[in-house]
Amino acid sequence: MNLSLLSHELLVLALGLGLLLVDLWLPVPAKRKLGYVAAAGVGLILLYSLFCVQLPASSPVQYAFGQMYALDGLALFFKRFFLLAALIVLLMSVEFADRIASGIAEFYALMLFALSGMLFASSANDFALLFVSLELITVTFYVLTSFQRARVTSLEAGVKYLIIGALSTAFTVYGIALVYGISHTLNFGLLSGVAAQYGDNKIFLFGLALVLVGLGFKIAAFPFQIWAPDVYQGAPTPVTAFLAIGSKAAGFALLLRVLFIAVPDITARWSNLLIIISGVSILYGNLCAIPQRNLKRLLGYSSIAHAGYLLLGVAALSAAGRSAVLYYLSGYLFTVLSAFTVICLALRGVEGEDVGGLAGLHRRSPLLAATMTLAMASLAGIPPLAGFFGKFLLLKAVVEQGPTHPGYYCLTFTALAGVVISLYYYFGVVRAMYWPGEAADLSPIVVSKPIRLTLYGCIGGMLYLGLFPNGLLEAANQAVKLLR
Amino acid sequence: MQDALFYTFAFLTLMFGFLVIANPFSRNPVTSAMFLVLTIISLAGLFVLLHAFFLAAVQVLVYAGAVMVLFLFVIMLLDLKAEERRKIKTLGVVGGLISTGAILAIFLSSLLKAPLGATQSPVVEGGTVALAKLLFTQYLLPFEIVSLLLLVAIVGVVLLSKKDLK
Repeated sequence: MNLSLLSHELLVLALGLGLLLVDLWLPVPAKRKLGYVAAAGVGLILLYSLFCVQLPASSPVQYAFGQMYALDGLALFFKRFFLLAALIVLLMSVEFADRIASGIAEFYALMLFALSGMLFASSANDFALLFVSLELITVTFYVLTSFQRARVTSLEAGVKYLIIGALSTAFTVYGIALVYGISHTLNFGLLSGVAAQYGDNKIFLFGLALVLVGLGFKIAAFPFQIWAPDVYQGAPTPVTAFLAIGSKAAGFALLLRVLFIAVPDITARWSNLLIIISGVSILYGNLCAIPQRNLKRLLGYSSIAHAGYLLLGVAALSAAGRSAVLYYLSGYLFTVLSAFTVICLALRGVEGEDVGGLAGLHRRSPLLAATMTLAMASLAGIPPLAGFFGKFLLLKAVVEQGPTHPGYYCLTFTALAGVVISLYYYFGVVRAMYWPGEAADLSPIVVSKPIRLTLYGCIGGMLYLGLFPNGLLEAANQAVKLLR
Repeated sequence: MQDALFYTFAFLTLMFGFLVIANPFSRNPVTSAMFLVLTIISLAGLFVLLHAFFLAAVQVLVYAGAVMVLFLFVIMLLDLKAEERRKIKTLGVVGGLISTGAILAIFLSSLLKAPLGATQSPVVEGGTVALAKLLFTQYLLPFEIVSLLLLVAIVGVVLLSKKDLK
């Protein structure tokens, strides 16, 4: 067995444990800066991953710990994705640090532990690893969500997430037990060999459906979306950002693995189910977002809609659809993280993160206003931004499947209707920035240098992915080559 | 010898179980919880007689130890004085009798179908040695990740419950 396959996870863990230890000797004022250390460490690991880790062409999948842990194109794609997301979130956390009364070093360390859970999840090739990595992510987020102990909304969000998360865990583990009881294996590779013969076994299908329920909670797709708005609203802003991108992407990484590596023969017959979940998520998220005044809550509903858009690519059951999912997630990373960074800076001290708090933002800080405008345009899917091209790829994949099943055409129309609805509330946010009724506070907002660089990077990412999609699309196509 | 032990433990389990829900001497929830501990320990004895040593140990460690401490915490935190004075409602008794009766019927019908004593004694699975071997070979990675999970839980509990952190 080759331990170096786990290098990403081990390095992140070492960094997290190191932070916990260093915290013991540091004076209190210096602790806030630990976030920069953590971010720098994650950045170095990302560079190491980009330049030093490569899969040999002769063996595109490498296994460790039996066949439990798989390092393939998909795993590597998601590992880099999670590292980049964590890097930006950690920089955002340093800005947020003054609003966390105590335990800031642990805050950074817990973020790193959640990151390591996501890294493990992206390589899970076995239900046992799937379960423990999901739990590592979720348990860490229980703590992170309720980190601002003095705020009632934060505690409330933590309790809600704990109860609903525990429920979804119960579903998952029950489903895994049923699948194991019928097939006598937890391994995805072995399961793919025998799954076809259990295609009519009700217990096996019931077990798989329960596992999907658990993953549905993670990605916040209808009808398992009920927690998202409350938790997004109550959690500290960097945690919400990490939840919106990291937790959701981890859910999709596992969903792709379960559906297209473990049980591809059964997935092929589930197109109806996936079409319905995707369509209803899009409509539910977009319609419920319209009346929202709280910006984080609005993004919570929008994230439900985006889970629906991402499921378009899964429902398409084609290689094009799966690579579109990876592409869309990458665009979503830059978009959503820049939106949350702006919320973190601009709505400091605004009670309830009301949209009205953005009034006059273009005079307080043109950079923040421009970033927010671009992020909203990208979420809505306006060309030439990343969100537009991602949606285009997803819809293209769905329309291509149209001749096989009329449901795909209905799904396309639903998605387009969802995009039109979403224009209304996304541009409501832009309007609040540039055409305020009256702006109470016009003091300029100081944007620190690391955050400035982050925002430039996010804007660059949104524009680059929208204008020059070929590079990432090629990478995404490579990553999903082994799924079927 | 085995038979005698079986009947002893079975009798103890049933008796303590009865005392948990309908103790004629005391209606104190803490007493009920204590009898539940004794029920669980007698159940563990039954597991030992079945050669399921690991299950027996887990039964004592997890249920009699950890879960019961949690129960007691909740009972003491909530201060259930009202429970002691509460009248037993007819509807509750009827509902309870119907549901236990249904479970008993299912149990008896399946028991009567299966011939007793004629089958060979089943192969014992889930022994401590076999389990430990699996944990440290095939399932080593999830096992190690669980240790990380526990670390996160400890850090979380300290952070969320400590009075004032620096």
